[in-house]
Amino acid sequence: MNVLEINEVYKTYHDTEVAVTAVNGVTLSFERGEFAAVVGPSGSGKTTLLNLIGGLDQPTDGEIIVAGHRLSELRPSELIDFRMEHVGFVFQSYNLIPVLTASENIGFIMNLQHWPADKRKKRTDELLHSVGLADRGNSRPSQLSGGQQQRVAVARALATRPEFILADEPTANLDSKSTDTLLDIMEKLNRDEEMTFIFSTHDSRVVRRARRIITLEDGRVVSDERR
Amino acid sequence: MIIEIAWKNVWRNKVRSLIVIAAMTIGVFAGVFSIAVMNSSVVQRIDSAVNEELSHIQINNKDFRSSNDINDFIPDLDTLFEKILTTEGVEDATGRIIVQAMASTARKSTGVMLVGIDPEKERHIFTLGEKVIPGTGGFFQGETKYNTAYIGEKLAKELNIVRYMMDDEAFNKMSESDIPQEVILKLEQFRGVRFVSEKKLKAELRNVLSHKEFRQYSGQVFSSAWSYREGSRIVFTFVDCEGNQTGATFRITGIFRTNNDMFETSSVFVPYDELCSLTGIEPGNYHRIIARLTDNDITDRVTREVRAALPSLEVLNWKEISPDLAMLADFMQQIYALFMIIILAALAFGIVNTMLMAVLERTREIGMLAAIGMNRKKIFAMIMTESVFLSVIGGISGMIVGMVIIAVTSRNGINLVNYSEGMEAIGYSVNLFPVIDPLFFTITACLIILTGIISSVYPARKALKLNPVEALRGEK
Repeated sequence: MNVLEINEVYKTYHDTEVAVTAVNGVTLSFERGEFAAVVGPSGSGKTTLLNLIGGLDQPTDGEIIVAGHRLSELRPSELIDFRMEHVGFVFQSYNLIPVLTASENIGFIMNLQHWPADKRKKRTDELLHSVGLADRGNSRPSQLSGGQQQRVAVARALATRPEFILADEPTANLDSKSTDTLLDIMEKLNRDEEMTFIFSTHDSRVVRRARRIITLEDGRVVSDERR
Repeated sequence: MIIEIAWKNVWRNKVRSLIVIAAMTIGVFAGVFSIAVMNSSVVQRIDSAVNEELSHIQINNKDFRSSNDINDFIPDLDTLFEKILTTEGVEDATGRIIVQAMASTARKSTGVMLVGIDPEKERHIFTLGEKVIPGTGGFFQGETKYNTAYIGEKLAKELNIVRYMMDDEAFNKMSESDIPQEVILKLEQFRGVRFVSEKKLKAELRNVLSHKEFRQYSGQVFSSAWSYREGSRIVFTFVDCEGNQTGATFRITGIFRTNNDMFETSSVFVPYDELCSLTGIEPGNYHRIIARLTDNDITDRVTREVRAALPSLEVLNWKEISPDLAMLADFMQQIYALFMIIILAALAFGIVNTMLMAVLERTREIGMLAAIGMNRKKIFAMIMTESVFLSVIGGISGMIVGMVIIAVTSRNGINLVNYSEGMEAIGYSVNLFPVIDPLFFTITACLIILTGIISSVYPARKALKLNPVEALRGEK
């Protein structure tokens, strides 16, 4: 069953003198439990595509359907709720809330969704354990290494069991050891929780682990390989 | 959760937040304290006017104030007193007779208003009796075979009843006070000199003392040298009921000191019975009834009621008798409001500036919050809560500092001896005891919180306008 369908999606920016088409007629579909990497050179439209899938940006044309929701039909406030309920984000620069501890960061979206405190704590502990940070729950982001912060970001993205996780260059700021650890964790979560992961990446280590590789060039899909 | 994050965000940049809070604290304190000081001068002036000079309400025959006719008595006094005393809010009332007179001593003479009073009654209603200068006698205490008068210090000085003697006694008093020995040594050249007025002594002191010494110690020098010969006499001449010029010698029973030079110069209090017998006024007649109320705030209401009950008489309250004082009180209210507007505006700009900086610094983070599903309402609430925290902490701490300083200064007073001549001439005390209405604190606290809320709207709206994609890229 498809959790995500992208039909003939275009995104053109008119901010500059010359209109720039960042995504140019992309059609893709993703099934539950995929572990996919979107690759391509800089400016190929990887991040734009992820932003469109995540409802952060609106396509100029085409249709994106996530778990039965046509994103183009959602109002801005509904899009925010949609993101909270259906999408988990992992950003290149971690983007944790600096004033909250690792546990609080992980529990943040559960909190927004008004989960009861005991259920929230149980899930937070479970995720902290899964990402290997069971003993760092009370640490602030500034007390964690880059790799550890990104693991917390992954745990936060997974917390409410969204339809899929969108990770924009998640390993770009990490060393090899941290990258391997993070990928191990994400693979395990992908397997154990049947979570769909879609990455945009330049990182060959991520590409090696991906089970599906979508290559973009000038906003078009030039290849879509499954392993 | 929003409150918790907002609170933590306030302390994210401790130095900046503390600077903003300190600035707010100082601003609010300065405003509150300035208002308390200004308020004290007005409150003290009104209190002394009501308690010592005018009372809350005065009742005269309609023409008495313009004619000052000695035979213009208030009729039907029994009914009148009954009506006044049964009006809700009237604490007590008493009658006075008022006679224009000329006061003379061997050296000088001046025009005064002789006020015939019932000392016992006045003692309970007014505080003028408590204003007696120690060592000058009392407020009609003890029996005496002489006519007695209670006069103001300014009149005593004008009639040369009070002098300034730099005698051994004065130097002994100065030595016992906290005037330093080197200052006393500078004054040795005046030992044995008699100054006929405070002005002359002041001029000499200014020549020998430094500005600071004069400011600190001149008051103590005056009180040490202040000299009064007990039992001094004044001759009052006036017109009696028959229209004949008459007069009598009065011994001074006591000298009072208020903050109002004009009142001290013009009003002389004598026992009602003595003045009746000297003027031929039939006992039981009064020119003026003065009434004291339980609370100054009910003055207007009680005045209306008494006026309605006594339509044939002139019923005036202190605001009508002294409209300048009433206008000053109203004017000061407007000044306080202006002060508060300036303080709150400064507070608002401080908050807007700080919160705008906080929003711009956290563009990426706010973009991330919007991306992961924090809705606009919650982002707005978070920024507003941060502003409210800042303003409440700064505002409340400013008010606490203000309250403490006001409490300390209201006990010890603020001495403005340098401006004594000018202030006392227009009835203001040189010792200010800052005071502020508790209601003012409540209103200020509410206004500070309101300012925090209003001034956070702009930064919060700025945060809402952030596009998550651009914010995450750190572009806006």
